[in-house]
Amino acid sequence: MIDFINFHLIPGLVLGSIYALGAIGVTLTFGILRFANFAHGEIMTLGAYLTLTMMWLTGWHPLILLPVTMVILSLIVIGMDQAFFKPFRNSPAVTVVIASFGLMLMIRSVTQFSWGAQLQAFVPGIQRPNVFFDALRISPKHILIVISAMVLMLVVHWVLAHTRIGKAMRAMSDSPELARLTGINTELVIKATWILGACMAAAAGVFLAYDSHVSTMMGFQILLPTFAAAIVGGIGRPYGAMAGGLLIGVTEELSSYAWLGDGPLLEPGYKAGVSFAIMIGVLIWRPSGLFRGRVF
Amino acid sequence: MMKTFKQLALASTMLAFVGTAAIADEIKVGSVAGVTGPIAELVVPIVAGRQMAADQINAAGGLLNGDTMTMVLADSQCDPKAGVDAGTKVVNVEQVVAIVGASCSGATNGMVQSVTIPAGVVALSDSATAPSITDLDDNDLVFRVAASDAYQGAAIAQLAWDQGYRTLAMTYANDDYNAGLAGVFEAAFKGLGGTITSNQMHEPNKASYRSELSTLSGNGAEGLAIFAYYGGSGIAIMRNALEAGLFEKFLAADGMFDQSVIDQIGADVLRDNIMITQAASDYDDPSYVAFAGAFEATGHSPQAPYAAHGYDAAFLIALAIEKAGSTDRAAISAALREVAGPPGVVIRPGEWAKAKAAIAAGQDVNYEGAVGNNDFDGNGDVTGLFSVNVVGADGKWTGNLIR
Repeated sequence: MIDFINFHLIPGLVLGSIYALGAIGVTLTFGILRFANFAHGEIMTLGAYLTLTMMWLTGWHPLILLPVTMVILSLIVIGMDQAFFKPFRNSPAVTVVIASFGLMLMIRSVTQFSWGAQLQAFVPGIQRPNVFFDALRISPKHILIVISAMVLMLVVHWVLAHTRIGKAMRAMSDSPELARLTGINTELVIKATWILGACMAAAAGVFLAYDSHVSTMMGFQILLPTFAAAIVGGIGRPYGAMAGGLLIGVTEELSSYAWLGDGPLLEPGYKAGVSFAIMIGVLIWRPSGLFRGRVF
Repeated sequence: MMKTFKQLALASTMLAFVGTAAIADEIKVGSVAGVTGPIAELVVPIVAGRQMAADQINAAGGLLNGDTMTMVLADSQCDPKAGVDAGTKVVNVEQVVAIVGASCSGATNGMVQSVTIPAGVVALSDSATAPSITDLDDNDLVFRVAASDAYQGAAIAQLAWDQGYRTLAMTYANDDYNAGLAGVFEAAFKGLGGTITSNQMHEPNKASYRSELSTLSGNGAEGLAIFAYYGGSGIAIMRNALEAGLFEKFLAADGMFDQSVIDQIGADVLRDNIMITQAASDYDDPSYVAFAGAFEATGHSPQAPYAAHGYDAAFLIALAIEKAGSTDRAAISAALREVAGPPGVVIRPGEWAKAKAAIAAGQDVNYEGAVGNNDFDGNGDVTGLFSVNVVGADGKWTGNLIR
């Protein structure tokens, strides 16, 4: 039983928090700008590398540097939007998706060019977990990651529910035409969307790097489960993205627990397929996702 | 990135040289390598090794009647499809008499099956290690100076047994190289009387391997054998295992042989707790010393992975052409086995003039190369030498030859 918590539930919650933060950005872009942003994974990667660079310069803890990373990454992402997505504002979605794919390759190349293709770590070496009650092993970094992720999700909730710009974002997600007619400044809402998405992407990238390591492919490698989380939660539904991310992360890790007998229920080698199995199931039986998102 | 530019510069200079040196008496040998792609950085010294062999030969009398040996570089990108394209280019367009390469197992498999075996051209790879190449139906046209992983897998198993391991857990990444190696290791370790408590395939590039490790641990395994590329999943698995306190001792193969493993995990944690095997040379052997001195003068490290193999492969092809006495493709492939093994006058790296004289006098020659004796078995494989690498006092890998 204690193995269940140590090696399945806690890693699942950590992974789920990271997926959830990534999925918030994906689902906001999808809901408001109406395209699947393939560059989102590389934006997470960029966030991790920015933090790494500042750690080299200051020697501070990555979570302390996270707000700075969020600001810098937001500025970069707004610049990208102006340069690569604004010209396509009225183009068909497929054009913008291809543009985001191109942007993904460009960011990756710039990252490789600037920081090299070698693996790096925030803190080299390993961090032993704290042991509670002689059996429960929780690494301090996992506690930090899960708590920080929860706080960030609460912030997103507050922005969307209680601020003017958040309400405008929700309105635009529901109906862009109607939102424009009621006098909402759409370009401002788009900027806010990118900023919120970039901040969450920075957090996802930094947490992922804090838990494992920094590599130029790290964001891309979690992009597909992140997309699955956004779809499971319901496209354009930030709360759905949070729920979907946690659901997929936890299920992936729980799938290989020995539920029946001694062996793992599902060989761990196949756990990557779990998120897609959930996604397909949701698309068949509840195409709008858990939180009644958009159906295309 | 600078390295990529250098490669491109190197490649284009070589290609330009090939283009302009349209003299009548040049003999073209294909040099197929993954110049771009996932092992681009490793390929630079390998191609340099091949080229150094050709340069030495041309400086010491050239092939046959003073003909120039020209290495025609083609990029196989470490990819089977690109390997076929590169093979087609050198065989059909450049009309090479023999091929050194390709670099990766997948590219080599693709190239030889689709191009060189049907065309009757001998291919001698310097770094393809997959066991699947051994059993190709190749009409004796596919050789390699890099030892098959069938030997490396057995070498790790023997090493583990000798170090006192009796029960091990193992995990391997889901790709051709690692799966092949893991299969050999498992059979060899069980054959010695050891017990594999758990064997798990894993998907590379995942963020966490904790649930895999939870499944692998238990049943009293004394250590974990990891077959993975360090950047794909190897480092992540070791980190997760150590942080969760599931495994302390590790065994691995050359896919994990990189300084970043020590840099990321920490030398103190790994010291005395990890052993990695790697293809190696006997660094005291006169053949290796002869190669290393000359290669160092070209600005490369002689211990760069498979650089000495590249040199030996190109030198062997040259000897086979000389022995065949013509540029006939069939005669060259027939001569390759004769010049590589006993009996005959022993030829070491750099001794081209001596080899040329011996062959002219009708004597047999036996090339003893920088990486070992290079005696091919019935499948065109060599046994090769391996080193076991541990973390040294300076925090770098320290290798010792397994004898």
